[in-house]
Amino acid sequence: MSVGILALGAANSRSLVHALRRAGADAVILERPEQLPAIGALVLPGVANVGYLIQELDRGNWRTPLLAAIGNGLPTLGICAGFQLLCTRSEEAPELPALGIFCGTVTKLRGEKIPHMGWSRAEATTSAFESGWAYFAHSYAPPAALRETLAITQCGAAFASAAGTGNVIGVQFHPERSGEYGARLLQRLVRMAREPIHAG
Amino acid sequence: MPAKRIIACLDVKNGRVVKGVRFEGLRDAGDPATCALQYCREGIDELVMLDVSATLEGRLASLQTVERISSEIDIPLTVGGGVRGEDDAIAILDAGADKVALNTAAVAEPAVLQRLASRYGSQCIVLSIDARRVNGGYQVATRSATQTTGQDALQWARIGAALGAGEILLTAIDRDGTLKGFDLALIADFSRALDVPLIASGGARNADSFADALAAGADAALAASVFHDGLLSVAAVKQRCRERAIGVRP
Repeated sequence: MSVGILALGAANSRSLVHALRRAGADAVILERPEQLPAIGALVLPGVANVGYLIQELDRGNWRTPLLAAIGNGLPTLGICAGFQLLCTRSEEAPELPALGIFCGTVTKLRGEKIPHMGWSRAEATTSAFESGWAYFAHSYAPPAALRETLAITQCGAAFASAAGTGNVIGVQFHPERSGEYGARLLQRLVRMAREPIHAG
Repeated sequence: MPAKRIIACLDVKNGRVVKGVRFEGLRDAGDPATCALQYCREGIDELVMLDVSATLEGRLASLQTVERISSEIDIPLTVGGGVRGEDDAIAILDAGADKVALNTAAVAEPAVLQRLASRYGSQCIVLSIDARRVNGGYQVATRSATQTTGQDALQWARIGAALGAGEILLTAIDRDGTLKGFDLALIADFSRALDVPLIASGGARNADSFADALAAGADAALAASVFHDGLLSVAAVKQRCRERAIGVRP
């Protein structure tokens, strides 16, 4: 099963390729929107400034085919800034509209020390998600009160550490660097992955 | 507040883990990927790989070693050593590092911190500061601690954070590899004055020394020798932290 990574020039795609391989999937770094129909699942990774990601998204003409593919049921996981990209917009780049799949504005964290860096608990708010220790590295986060929130984490105030609806999951932590807890989430994505619409 | 972190540092030279005292007299301590995986299994929270001879040899950290470590582990990896600017930082991240540490290059051209942070976000950029005690104060040293710049270490940390560094890795050169305990006064000073996370390095001795550093205000405590030499287990460090009511990841 092949999982596409839409890196958009963000860092640490290699970590993700290795982690997806450990979860049983072949990972391909996507370079053109035409590759979308050939993948079984999609990851929007996330070591990046979200404004940079949005600009790259539009520079590469990804927005429309990406929304169409997700709307068509493509299992999709947004990680960190990739999760923020799935929200309406972000205080980090307020003038740039994000993808708007989760309805809410990403805001700057107000903890004692920012970035929120290290291991914190993601506490599930629904039985459809699992609680656990996860690795975070971020200064902005989606609000705890998203309609689709699956888990929350405390840093100053609570924020959404996971959200999901149908075929789309967003997590603010890094599953590729969150030990066995993160590995189980990636395995879940790989299980959700579907057969490609067109071979090749 | 996240859990306080215990970090193992792999000082790498010519593809092998090495360890010295006050940055000198390096001796072999094993294969980097093997060490990394071992620490991972023991419950370490994060790994740092520093290519200790890269800057002096005028080259970038070994990307092959970064790739080998990265493919084995499921915890975060920070890499530093010989990063001269943006292209080097990108190469290190592309090889599988989650964060990149800059030291000499940031001192030479502080704006590089801002440029990297605007692309990758501050959370990806670690400013590594080697602080040397000079006349009762602490000055920034560069080039694997072979040069002292005269710049006040804390002032540089504040400038670095303002430019976009998301974390400060503070090494007390005078304690490095000495097993004398962390420099608690230095840690407390930095922690009070900074609003980004602080990793304390240099002088780890026993489990209590880690708890001391974390209690003094460090968000993470880093060590190399005590772990490589088997003087201390990660589990023992975490157990002692819990006994002293310092929150660590199980």
